[in-house]
Amino acid sequence: MTTGLTDLRALERNAFRKFYDDGVFDIYVGAMLITMGVAAIFADRLANEFQSGLLTLGLALAVTVPLLLWRRHLLRSRLGDFKPGPARRRKIATTRLVLLGSVLFGVVAFIVATIAYRSDADIDMAGLIVPLLWMLNSLIVFGAMAYLLDVPRFYVHAVIIGSAMPLLIWPDMLWDTKVAPWLAFGLPGSIVASIGIHKLVAFLQAYPVLEAEAAIDGEA
Amino acid sequence: MAKPEKRTTVSTTVDRLIHEPARLTILTNLFVVESANATYLLQQTGLTWGNLGSHLVKLEEAEYIDVVKGYNGRKPETTVSLTEKGKKALLEYRSQLLTALAPLATE
Repeated sequence: MTTGLTDLRALERNAFRKFYDDGVFDIYVGAMLITMGVAAIFADRLANEFQSGLLTLGLALAVTVPLLLWRRHLLRSRLGDFKPGPARRRKIATTRLVLLGSVLFGVVAFIVATIAYRSDADIDMAGLIVPLLWMLNSLIVFGAMAYLLDVPRFYVHAVIIGSAMPLLIWPDMLWDTKVAPWLAFGLPGSIVASIGIHKLVAFLQAYPVLEAEAAIDGEA
Repeated sequence: MAKPEKRTTVSTTVDRLIHEPARLTILTNLFVVESANATYLLQQTGLTWGNLGSHLVKLEEAEYIDVVKGYNGRKPETTVSLTEKGKKALLEYRSQLLTALAPLATE
């Protein structure tokens, strides 16, 4: 039992960090990337874009929603629950802003890329810029999460996830070697999900389900 | 006859309610969050339910913490937060302890 009296900041950081030790968020992000790879397979096999989009969305929801619901139960039964202090709440709010910014940035980038593709814009330039934007976005989002949420392994995720789009486009541009989309997204996704699974196994061993709360009335 | 020198020890200069390691751990853990449920405190402190309960009662009696009993679904859930008095007492305890131990640094 450590009191944490000497370094309250470290005590708070370590307590908060535990809530990301479960690895479920990593599995979630990895699953999303794998879903993007699978979406490419659907798009190839199904002539109808609407059908393939619907299938992808269904798959993404089927994988992620139960995972996130389970995460809540997993954490509550093993770590309990807390309301963070003002400093941590500010950091969480900033993280959400960064995530929102990333989504908006993604939408704008997608629209610009689509317009460029349909016009006579230089395709080689788009092939260079789109992966760079993807990489930059990943580095900013996961880098900010790592820094603000005090979870250093998200720096690694930033690099792994950021490599997906360059892996898809640059080998084709530079060496005329096509990398299948399921591989370009599936490989980084599998690495991130594997890290998550490893963390989850360690978490389940380190933090057993706590005995349910009895009436706390001090009659011990 | 010369009066015996009055000895001042750590235990007489600091708040003895906080000086107990388990209660100190509870308070420091509550200091860094806004509120926490009892399961969180159990996990963070490594105490048993019985011990945690008895220490929470003492801290609540001293008005250092607020204890709210409720339900999460059908399960009972106790939410605990540090009061202003508790925060002040913990900070005071910290400075009292540092003052009491300060001579050691120069010896």
